[in-house]
Amino acid sequence: MNTTPGTTPGTSSAPTPGTTPAPSVTAPAGESAGAPAGSTVFSVDGLWKVFGPDKAAAKVPGSADADLPAADLRERTGCTAAVRDVSFDVRKGEVFVVMGLSGSGKSTLVRCLTRLIEPTSGSLTIDGEDVLAMDATRLRALRRHRAAMVFQHFGLLPHRTVLDNVAYGLEIQGVGRGDRRTRAAELVAKVGLDGLEDRRPGQLSGGQQQRVGLARALAADPEVLLFDEPFSALDPLIRREMQEEVARLHHEEGRTMVFITHDLAEALRLGDRIALMRDGRIVQLGTPEEIVGSPADDYVRDFVRDVPREQVLTVRTAMRPAVAGEAEQGPALGPATTVVEAIQAVARSGGPARVVDHGRCLGVVDDAGLLAVVAGLPATPGRGVAA
Amino acid sequence: MTASPTHTQAGSRAAVPAQTRRSAARPAGPAPSRTAPAAAARPRRAWRGPVASRAFLVPMGVAVALLIPLAVAFPGAGSWPAALAVDLSGPLGRAGDWIIDHRDSHPLFLYLFGHVSNAVVVSVRAVYVLLLAAGWTGVTALAALVAWRLAGTRLALTCAAAFAACGLLGMWVPTMQTLALMVVAVGASVVLGALLGLAAGLSPRAHRLLRPVLDTMQILPAFAYLLPMVLVFGIGVPAAVLATVVYAAPPMARLTALGLREADAGVMEATASLGATGRQRLLTARLPLARPQLLLGVNQAIMTGLSMAVIASVIGAGGLGDRVYQALASVDVGAALAAGIPIVLLAVVLDRTADAAGRRLGAEPVPVSEQHLLRRVFSGWYGRLLTLLAAVAVAVVGRMAGTSLWPESWTVSLAEPVNSAVAWMTGHLYSGVPVVGGTADWAARFTGWVLDPLRAGLQAAPWWLLLLLAGALALLAGTWRTALTAVLALAAVGVLGVWEASLDTLSQVLAAVTVTLVLGFAIAVGAARSARAERLLRPVLDVCQTLPQFVYLIPVVALFGVGRAPAAAAAIVYALPAVVRITVQGLREVDPAVVESARSLGATRSQLLRQVQLPLARPALLLAVNQAVVLVLAVVIIGGLVGGGALGYDVVLGLAQGDLATGLVAGAAIVCLGLLLDRVTQPAKEA
Repeated sequence: MNTTPGTTPGTSSAPTPGTTPAPSVTAPAGESAGAPAGSTVFSVDGLWKVFGPDKAAAKVPGSADADLPAADLRERTGCTAAVRDVSFDVRKGEVFVVMGLSGSGKSTLVRCLTRLIEPTSGSLTIDGEDVLAMDATRLRALRRHRAAMVFQHFGLLPHRTVLDNVAYGLEIQGVGRGDRRTRAAELVAKVGLDGLEDRRPGQLSGGQQQRVGLARALAADPEVLLFDEPFSALDPLIRREMQEEVARLHHEEGRTMVFITHDLAEALRLGDRIALMRDGRIVQLGTPEEIVGSPADDYVRDFVRDVPREQVLTVRTAMRPAVAGEAEQGPALGPATTVVEAIQAVARSGGPARVVDHGRCLGVVDDAGLLAVVAGLPATPGRGVAA
Repeated sequence: MTASPTHTQAGSRAAVPAQTRRSAARPAGPAPSRTAPAAAARPRRAWRGPVASRAFLVPMGVAVALLIPLAVAFPGAGSWPAALAVDLSGPLGRAGDWIIDHRDSHPLFLYLFGHVSNAVVVSVRAVYVLLLAAGWTGVTALAALVAWRLAGTRLALTCAAAFAACGLLGMWVPTMQTLALMVVAVGASVVLGALLGLAAGLSPRAHRLLRPVLDTMQILPAFAYLLPMVLVFGIGVPAAVLATVVYAAPPMARLTALGLREADAGVMEATASLGATGRQRLLTARLPLARPQLLLGVNQAIMTGLSMAVIASVIGAGGLGDRVYQALASVDVGAALAAGIPIVLLAVVLDRTADAAGRRLGAEPVPVSEQHLLRRVFSGWYGRLLTLLAAVAVAVVGRMAGTSLWPESWTVSLAEPVNSAVAWMTGHLYSGVPVVGGTADWAARFTGWVLDPLRAGLQAAPWWLLLLLAGALALLAGTWRTALTAVLALAAVGVLGVWEASLDTLSQVLAAVTVTLVLGFAIAVGAARSARAERLLRPVLDVCQTLPQFVYLIPVVALFGVGRAPAAAAAIVYALPAVVRITVQGLREVDPAVVESARSLGATRSQLLRQVQLPLARPALLLAVNQAVVLVLAVVIIGGLVGGGALGYDVVLGLAQGDLATGLVAGAAIVCLGLLLDRVTQPAKEA
């Protein structure tokens, strides 16, 4: 709401790649056909969550203590600020990733979105409707129909079969037994668990259990899916598989997702935009390319240091304006092409490649520009110009 | 996470420690998350204990050293001063008389207790008639079928054999009487316990309110519950049933509360995130998640119910307990055994069946297609109905054959041969056996060398010194509050005017506890070392822990005759399994990484035991001590029936002579003694 898309206050140097979400590996297909760019689902403004005695906690936001480090704050007020003055918008159809180390407040933040944890102050709307003003009935309706959550530890009912677990959300809504079982069976098939309908969660592997959790969340056909570190408890291989599953689902349905993770690779792989949290605050909010290409501060820089830049950054970062004649020659690349792919094209053709968007040449990438990205050198003047 | 949930888990009564074995086998749920903080808290507690206690130890020691010469200087100060005692027999007797006089006229009795009493009588009567109508064929068939459905052929055969044995021993009617009483009492206590547990599980305030009450109820000996019931309802079935209900409800209540409170927070959050209402969350998540604990609670209620239903024969419960009681009164071991065996069989069968029900719930269901044909026929609601119909059919067949009661000609008289065996034993083993001496010699020696000096010492010690000692011990174990409770409880015993008798009981308890702990720890250390020994020991412990306290009196009377030593022996035998089990578990649960690292440093086995295992198992050892004290007290009191004397005898006398005042005072003293002993040995709670 108050933040310019792509940046947080204090990151003025970051380039602003227009209003369309930056294309990434998982660019949603449904998006271009679906919602207009900029239509927001969740709008969060100045949100605080302070744990502690109610009265003391309510005083913290906006007070002089608000900026204290966690230990000092606890000493002075007996409270812990888990989320501090956080603002962001989640746009329709995007995968919005909140990333941070444990204790950074990201799990608290996602629970605030459906008031599983009651925020201390700030404003929060879904589709323009004030969530914090909802009464119990409206809030339940929100949780039942509009935002479903997938949990790190699955939260499945151990005494129910897979099918009944998936149908649980519908059962709570009062859907008849036949209808909900039909719907649940569809979803069980969709997440690839056919044949396991009558098992109990205890008989499934972690990955399978999380598929049940995913199917349960999808059963109510919610507008937004909230993921709270859904794959952290899984083995690396299974995790990769599940990430692909989520990417596939997003690709097919274009559903809005808010994804919490502490895994940078996961964030970069799935996120259209990433909010990086530290000590309850968002330190940078931007596309994967922005986070990796122009970290807002030393903390972020440290965080992304080991990321293979050429796999995240696109030719937009590496290109320079075309000089005479270049605009017509060489292989044409889309603006979403990653540097890795551009290196292959340039190596094959032996000369610079053009970056073309809808028939218009935006610029040119040559080996020097690409190598500078790989080497992590700062962009030379004239490079990195956006269209 | 304080120490108390651990205490709750291992519980206090006969069958309660058995719960630890089952909770270990419970399907993985919240268990790992629960053990983690407990493990983390353990070393800290182990540290704080000695450090804190050492601070008190020095001034206490100085005080005691100064006071002992004082005690010697005033030898007359031994017993409780008469000036500080209050004679309650007058007012209590009048209150008892008033109740007896107004039982038929006062509105409180007419409109409340009268109805309760009638309802109890009618329902027990109805169940009894139903059981008799079903006949021995119907009852046996139903029990076997239910057992078969729950566990399989083996348990079904055990069930059938057990009921057949009851018939064979000529105890069919008393068995049915006991069963009828139990069904009603356990049903009521499960409902009552579940309601209390629901309140405590859902409301923290109710939990704070109920917990100390339940904690206290669980440490009180069964005998303490009898007299208040008799006071209100008179001797008879209603008093017996209600005493059983009150005695059996606490385990159900605390397990229900435990299950509800410990419901997996992740699952509860997930249901909330799906928009479930509070009611839906309770019915579809919280209650089903607590099902293992609920079933365990029912199991506990059944076992404690049986235990009490047998003891309640003293106040007119009738049935098997009454037969044992009458037989013991005339030292007719054969008759007591004939009634005792059905009790044991009933306990084993009920425990196994309830256990199987719990295990079936925890296990993953076998797909219908893979089941045996017969099992498939008997599955689901339809199968339940079929079970009932089959039992009814068998009952009808039995009736048509004209044998609703167990046929007289099929009974075997156990009393004669047993009594002759006992007579032989009396003749040959009681005394004069070369080298080892006879059992009666042992009993006499135990009485003469241990019990008498201990009692004399306690009774000669100045009362204020004992108070001080109790306070100091409680302080070592817990906080100022526990110390205060302990001192007040002991003082109350004096004020009630039963100082001498209480110290007599206390001396028996102390002697029996010491023997129990020495034996128990020795057995446990051995069993923890070898997996084979543990495997051999386990079924024995399982059976021992399910038996009602009452039946332990039979063998000790056969072996040692009557007196204080047999009472102590029964208490030792009764408390030993719990002590062994808790200690073995504590030793086994010692962090294997620590043991391994000690081994890698070259520690010998005894070093390992002394320096690693025992210190790390300290909480378990403390719990074992606490359990030993509580269990021993319960049986020492019951020992009043076999010549144990002291408080137990006062209660029995009060009941037998209708002298309620004596009995009630003794009952109150038992409660105080129970509180004192529990507080003094309570595993340290975190303040």
